[in-house]
Amino acid sequence: MVKKVLKYGMGVLSVALIVAQFIQPERTNSPADLAASFDAVAKPPREVAAVVARACRDCHSNQTEWPWYSRVAPVSWLVASDVKQGRAKLNFSQWNIYSPEMTRIKLGEMCGEVTKGDMPPLYYLPMHPVARVTPREVSAICSVPVAQAR
Amino acid sequence: MFMGTVACLFALLLGCARSGSESATIDAAKLKAYAPLPEVASAKEAVGERKVTLGRILYYDPRLSKSQKISCNSCHALTQYGVDNQATSNGHKGQKGDRNSPTVYNASLHFVQFWDGRAKNVEEQAKGPVLNPVEMAMTSEKQVITVLKSMPEYVDAFKKAFPDGRDPVTYDNMGKAIGAFERNLITPSRWDKFLKGDQAALTAEEKAGFNTFVASGCQTCHAGSLLGGNMYQKIGIVKPWPDTSDPGRFKVTNSEGDRFMFKVPSLRNIEKTGPYFHSGKIATLKEAIAKMADHQVGKTLSDAGIQSMETWMKSLTGEIPTDYIKQPELPKSTRKTPKPNEAD
Repeated sequence: MVKKVLKYGMGVLSVALIVAQFIQPERTNSPADLAASFDAVAKPPREVAAVVARACRDCHSNQTEWPWYSRVAPVSWLVASDVKQGRAKLNFSQWNIYSPEMTRIKLGEMCGEVTKGDMPPLYYLPMHPVARVTPREVSAICSVPVAQAR
Repeated sequence: MFMGTVACLFALLLGCARSGSESATIDAAKLKAYAPLPEVASAKEAVGERKVTLGRILYYDPRLSKSQKISCNSCHALTQYGVDNQATSNGHKGQKGDRNSPTVYNASLHFVQFWDGRAKNVEEQAKGPVLNPVEMAMTSEKQVITVLKSMPEYVDAFKKAFPDGRDPVTYDNMGKAIGAFERNLITPSRWDKFLKGDQAALTAEEKAGFNTFVASGCQTCHAGSLLGGNMYQKIGIVKPWPDTSDPGRFKVTNSEGDRFMFKVPSLRNIEKTGPYFHSGKIATLKEAIAKMADHQVGKTLSDAGIQSMETWMKSLTGEIPTDYIKQPELPKSTRKTPKPNEAD
């Protein structure tokens, strides 16, 4: 009986997983407007630009490199949601949307997050070890001059 | 990313569960992104007392409109927190504007003007509605100057406000004078007292409301001294906004990246400045909070969470500077002053 239920359950799950693959979330990367980017507007030091590209870009820009598992449901739904939330909070592809005051606030938050080790999130690092931020890079992020950043 | 998304899901669930039951003390770290309003936006010497006086008169003068019935104050009523509480305002011959009239209070501190940022400051903004055919409908700058020059009192006031120019009655100077007046329309509130260190300025419920606001992620866009007014954001960034009839800043830049981008409105005096959003279609503050949480941060707030945030937002209501906005006596029309035109 248990065997039968397990077999039936596995069957239902398999069908559900197969059907789920047909429901793909939007994995958009908007066309890059280089003039609006963090690099162009903020003209950050090379080291900061590099760490942003390496550790932040996947979730906080329109130039996401979608990993293979972002195509497999139901993980794909969660990844797409993560990226959407990340872009809404801070978008390095649209740095021109921020005023000088908001630029200062965003840079302050960036500094706080990397200093505390909250960004990149711990759960992101095992699959993306290159995203690890060194203490020297943290210091560089916290030293971006606000006047220059906008 | 996979493990992350799972962890995030839990965090989101926890965040939602906590909404509405935040504690009644505020962690100082959460206040780093906020600052009190300046007492005045610009030093009086910088804007000039005479310019302010002239600007006040111009602000209230309906003769700057074709029908001679509409002044700046018609849509931005200074005794009503700088708005008319209409979804969109009534302009020339009853025409409706296409966007909600934002408040003029604290507007000079916004990083750009209008919902789409098409004017860089209040001086530039003030020149827009006078010539807009749907609003005050004057046909040209020349027509405005003809009206102003027909009244010796105006000519005299412009000379005093702009003593360096040979012909000071210009359209640009009209904008500068109105802007000078608007730069002191500042409304500090209990929130400012709190930010300056007066812990008793906010009630426990209001402090809890702020915590709910931060926990819900609203500070992503509503930060700084105005709690907004300092960045653009796409409406419907997380969940598409149902009404796509207004492309927002795209109208100004024609850049695809600016489609549905609007200036984030300030939360100062927000309880008094409804209805809400660029369309003015959302009538109540509670509904506006729920919609923002849903479409901008992807959260469904509980009724208690919404109530809590609204309670805090009411502490952002400042005092109207009643003496400063007192309606002045307007210059007398002369026989040279053009007659109102309501026919076309």
